[in-house]
Amino acid sequence: MTAATPVVHPAPGRAVTGLATRQVRRGGLIVLGLAAGMPALVTGTYASVMADPAAAASLDAIATNPAIRTLFGTPYALDTAGGFTVWRIGTVLAVIIGVWSALATTRVTRGEEDAGRWDVLLAGRVPPRAALARHLAVIASVPAGAGAAVAAVLWVAGGPDRTGALVHGAGLAALGLFAVAAAGLAAQVFPARAPATGTVIAVLGAGLLIRMAGDGMTGLGWLRWLSPFGLIGLSTPYHHNALLPVLILMAAAGLVAATAVAAAGRRDVGGGLVAVATSRAPRPWGLTGVGAFAVRRAAAPVVAWSAGILAYFLLIGMTAVSVTEFLADNTVFADTAAQAGFAGLHTVTGFTATIFALLAVPVGAFAAVRMAAYAAAETDRRLTLIAAGPLARLRLLGAEAGVTAGGALVLVSVAAAATWAGVAATGGGLPLGDALAGTFNTLPIVALSLGAAVLALGAAPRLTALAGALPATGGFLWKVTADSIGAPDWVVGLSPFAHLAPVPLASADWTATGAMVMIAVALSAVGAVAYRRRDLAG
Amino acid sequence: MAGFVLRTHHLTKRYGRLTAVDDLTLDVPAGEVFGFLGPNGAGKSTTIRMLLGLARPTAGHASIAGVDAADTARAHRHLAYVPADVALWPRLTGAEILHLLAATGPGTDLGYRDELIGRFELDTSKPARTYSTGNRQKIALVAAFATRAPLLIMDEPTSGLDPLMEREFRTAVREARDRGQTVFLSSHQLAEVEAVCDRVGILRAGRLVEVASVPQLRALHRAEVTVAYTGAAPALDAVPGIDGLADGGDGRLRFALTGPPAPALRALAGAEVTAFTVREPSLEEMFLDYYGAEQGR
Repeated sequence: MTAATPVVHPAPGRAVTGLATRQVRRGGLIVLGLAAGMPALVTGTYASVMADPAAAASLDAIATNPAIRTLFGTPYALDTAGGFTVWRIGTVLAVIIGVWSALATTRVTRGEEDAGRWDVLLAGRVPPRAALARHLAVIASVPAGAGAAVAAVLWVAGGPDRTGALVHGAGLAALGLFAVAAAGLAAQVFPARAPATGTVIAVLGAGLLIRMAGDGMTGLGWLRWLSPFGLIGLSTPYHHNALLPVLILMAAAGLVAATAVAAAGRRDVGGGLVAVATSRAPRPWGLTGVGAFAVRRAAAPVVAWSAGILAYFLLIGMTAVSVTEFLADNTVFADTAAQAGFAGLHTVTGFTATIFALLAVPVGAFAAVRMAAYAAAETDRRLTLIAAGPLARLRLLGAEAGVTAGGALVLVSVAAAATWAGVAATGGGLPLGDALAGTFNTLPIVALSLGAAVLALGAAPRLTALAGALPATGGFLWKVTADSIGAPDWVVGLSPFAHLAPVPLASADWTATGAMVMIAVALSAVGAVAYRRRDLAG
Repeated sequence: MAGFVLRTHHLTKRYGRLTAVDDLTLDVPAGEVFGFLGPNGAGKSTTIRMLLGLARPTAGHASIAGVDAADTARAHRHLAYVPADVALWPRLTGAEILHLLAATGPGTDLGYRDELIGRFELDTSKPARTYSTGNRQKIALVAAFATRAPLLIMDEPTSGLDPLMEREFRTAVREARDRGQTVFLSSHQLAEVEAVCDRVGILRAGRLVEVASVPQLRALHRAEVTVAYTGAAPALDAVPGIDGLADGGDGRLRFALTGPPAPALRALAGAEVTAFTVREPSLEEMFLDYYGAEQGR
């Protein structure tokens, strides 16, 4: 018998880096692809779009639409490919990079810890601080790479002002780094993934609202210095090319990340800096059956999403009057829009109609996330004990999908009420019925998201979130990109957003609404049949 | 209920080229405690998932109290389940989870449930995320034992329990049987199976290789016999059923005996036997006997 020599890995930290890489590489590559692909598409087609007078006029109309200006920020240097790209897709890319960075960070740090896997990891030779630092570094490489990709594309195709390319790329990277750092800190503070994710998304959402308020309301411009999105707006690529705001954002990211790593060494693994009660009296509401339990689980998420949507649409309502008044006085803008067939856009009704369409994105995402949470409950076997009860499987699915649809109704109602209240508070007139018509008009797209999520749940449960996000989030990105590159109508028409009438400016397109609802029902039916037939995971 | 509470008929599950459960036909009568044995990966959990309608059979069929197992709304009125690896909703307390399971389950005896909570020493005011593996298992056990379901299906229910709780578990199984409930118990704790089960089924590589009572199994297996004698050694070489004969040279013989002992006893009758001991195999030894061959393949 020979004595075996134990193999001691010379660099255990590198194994941790490898683990983190495996967990984020797929999503990271998608983000990098979008960061390189979207600016490449927009800059690549910029010259030909501008050469076509009709397409250029409709882009002008989009640029002068006050709703779009509120959403995308003030345009600068639209006469260069780079400036146009920054304005048109800069905010969208910033949101994608920021949200992905935040979600990925809480998922691979607090989420893995929640699942008990860090107990095993940290029983090895790598201490908690080093493990966290390595995970953050790996995730941070994605926004850094995305910023570099955007800068590279704009350097080549964005026009002569190459400093603008660098400033924009650096700004996007800094925003992503800040999101990673903030999520890393939230993951140390909270002892569970859901509140950590909720907090960091709330921070980013507040940053977006602050930027909008700073852009939209005179006298509040200084607010933008307090928001990550405001800071990258202040850097005004292709205009002032200011580096100071970007440097401030990077310094903030570094400081927050250092705090997170320091905190990682000061707490129990599995616990947070915030203590949780270890015992409490039972709260028996929502435990009387499958439907009631679905309501109980959805309650907190619906409140959180409602709060975000309420804040956003209240702000939209409050800015609607001033923005539309200013632009309505400017007859040049109004004429351009009218020529392109968008008469009435510079009224409160037109302004809100454009913004309401956007509501399908968060509400569709809500539907996708809820169904993905249901898929996760199945995969990690929480559902098993309930599925062992005397219930048909479709009843479980029906309760979940039904409660999710109910939650979506709450969200669109909240959006309508918030907008109505905001407009009313600033002396404008938007009837509540019109606001409700506008927000309810987005429900067919939400139904498509829910249908796609149910289909995935039945056929490929791991893809539930992705499939559910496709109609709303994917459709929105598709429409923005297709509009920006002057794509042919049938390409634009692949997005459900192309079939959404601007309610309350116009009346609903019932044909399109019916078609979308029918597709949603068909997707759900196929998904339900597949779900009934397949084996449950776990 | 008379008759069979659990029946499978040529039940088969294939995952691609792997056959996890192969042509399993089994009947478990009402009121029986049935032990379901097999090494890791033998197909025990897959069988149970098919019994519960969580997995769909590739071929064959399973029924619970005469109802097709796939019809979960009806079949599950007759059963309660304890999974091998209990996962609970982390933010609900133990009491809330028991409340939920009573609401969605086949009917619960709340008084008995409270008694079980005390016997299993369960603190139900804690959120499930703070529970250890054993405590999560206790929640599922309490929820299942407190039902009056005619069939309790338990997949390694005691793997995380300490010896005191293990004893409570055996008591609860006996109480369930006394009430007429059937228990289908998959377990690796062979002493536990031996203590509580009326019959056992042994699964190997997806196939049911034996179904018998523990005493019947013993009869099929080798007993270890030690004989002390004076004078000439008994001639046992050609006796049927005797294997592994070892002569210690000190007036003691040891051999393994399989099947009826009559020929061996006749052969021994001619010798001056001073002591005779038979040690029956434990279930563990029988189990290793079944799978020892597996290892060599």
